[in-house]
Amino acid sequence: MNLLLRYVPLGLLALLLLVLIRRRAYRVCPCFFVYTAYGVAAGVARLMVRLSILLNARDYAVTYWVTEGGYDLLGILVMYEVLRTVLGSLTRDWRARLVFPAVLCGALGLSLARAHAIPVHFSSHLASEIMIGEIAVRFVQVFVFAGLVTLVPVLGFKWRQYPFGVAMGFGLYATIALLTTTAFSDFGTRFTFLWSVVSLVAYSLAVLIWIWFFSVPQKEQTPSSELSAPSPGDLKQYKDALRRMR
Amino acid sequence: MFSIIFTWVIVAWGAIACIYMLRCAWTRFPKRDVDADDVIPFLYPVDISLAESILDPATEFECRWRLEPRRFREAQRKRMRLYLELTRRMAHNARVLVEYADAEKNSRDPRRVNVAAAVQEKAIGVRLYSLLTGIKLRFWLLLRADVLNSKPVLAHLRTTGDIDGLETYGALKTAAAAAFNKLPPDAIDSLTRNL
Repeated sequence: MNLLLRYVPLGLLALLLLVLIRRRAYRVCPCFFVYTAYGVAAGVARLMVRLSILLNARDYAVTYWVTEGGYDLLGILVMYEVLRTVLGSLTRDWRARLVFPAVLCGALGLSLARAHAIPVHFSSHLASEIMIGEIAVRFVQVFVFAGLVTLVPVLGFKWRQYPFGVAMGFGLYATIALLTTTAFSDFGTRFTFLWSVVSLVAYSLAVLIWIWFFSVPQKEQTPSSELSAPSPGDLKQYKDALRRMR
Repeated sequence: MFSIIFTWVIVAWGAIACIYMLRCAWTRFPKRDVDADDVIPFLYPVDISLAESILDPATEFECRWRLEPRRFREAQRKRMRLYLELTRRMAHNARVLVEYADAEKNSRDPRRVNVAAAVQEKAIGVRLYSLLTGIKLRFWLLLRADVLNSKPVLAHLRTTGDIDGLETYGALKTAAAAAFNKLPPDAIDSLTRNL
């Protein structure tokens, strides 16, 4: 595949980073901001190693897998942040805190079961483990995204907010990545080219979704102090309405 | 085999979620104006005093004391069905108000946007309470928990998932009154009757 096309997501991530800085999104979604900054740094590091004449293919493989491990860890943290933001505004019940560990354990168990059924073949043991971890992270991302989307019609959530945007980008990418990985492992190596192209397109789409969500300022979710100081006329009407209700 | 089936199920769930979000994004355009006529006739009346009496531990204790066990179980099942209907109505009203609040959030008046945010926040609380309470009640009714298990206490349903149902519904009514205070008195009357 063309080297330029391969680094389209890096350009989009750099654009996203600028948008996040402009919207001061590091206050609302700090983990996602760190993930984006890391994505740009990791992409630049991979490009530098690839273009360097002093380094060989093995160095690129090491850089690739080390940065991939970082992506996995930050992907988990971002999903935790999304779930904490959404569930924290919904309920203070202590059981809500158990949702994320339960999802994480379920995803890890499923990934290990899958690795047992269809073993991952890599020369490096570390790469195999990172791959298993990566599939677990994809499961978590789909779980969180699909779970949140289920809450939209059930509870009447407003979906146009930053945590949903983050979950949607990851959810779309993770769904397509899982689909292609499953097809790849089920149907064989003739899917190699398709797998790499589809993953690239899906990740670019995910980054475009994030840019779209963060390109507009988030509307205030909680009522501000303006509510506490209505005009005397409004206050009278409001009191009348309440009196009729009781 | 089990893990592969599960993987496909999760992939399908994710794909359905993607399609749903695409539909949500698509139907944002053009924006539909929702006014009081799209709200008031669609509300179902909720008798709060009836809900209070169902959740009152003293009433339940009195029933338990006055009736023989079989009769009490029957009465309790009736009370469960009645409360399920009330929570359904609460959830429906909250849903109608959420749609109104969604439309109001596009307003340029910051006060209307704030009032709509308050309505939406309370409505989500009411819907979550109704969902959790509904699951609990259906579970009790389906498994005949009154026969198999120790007798379910309806007074415990007042707070579910750390949400006080009646208090949150009261707060939703207050927020709705603030949102509709510009309406003519007859419309306000209809709202108060229906909410």
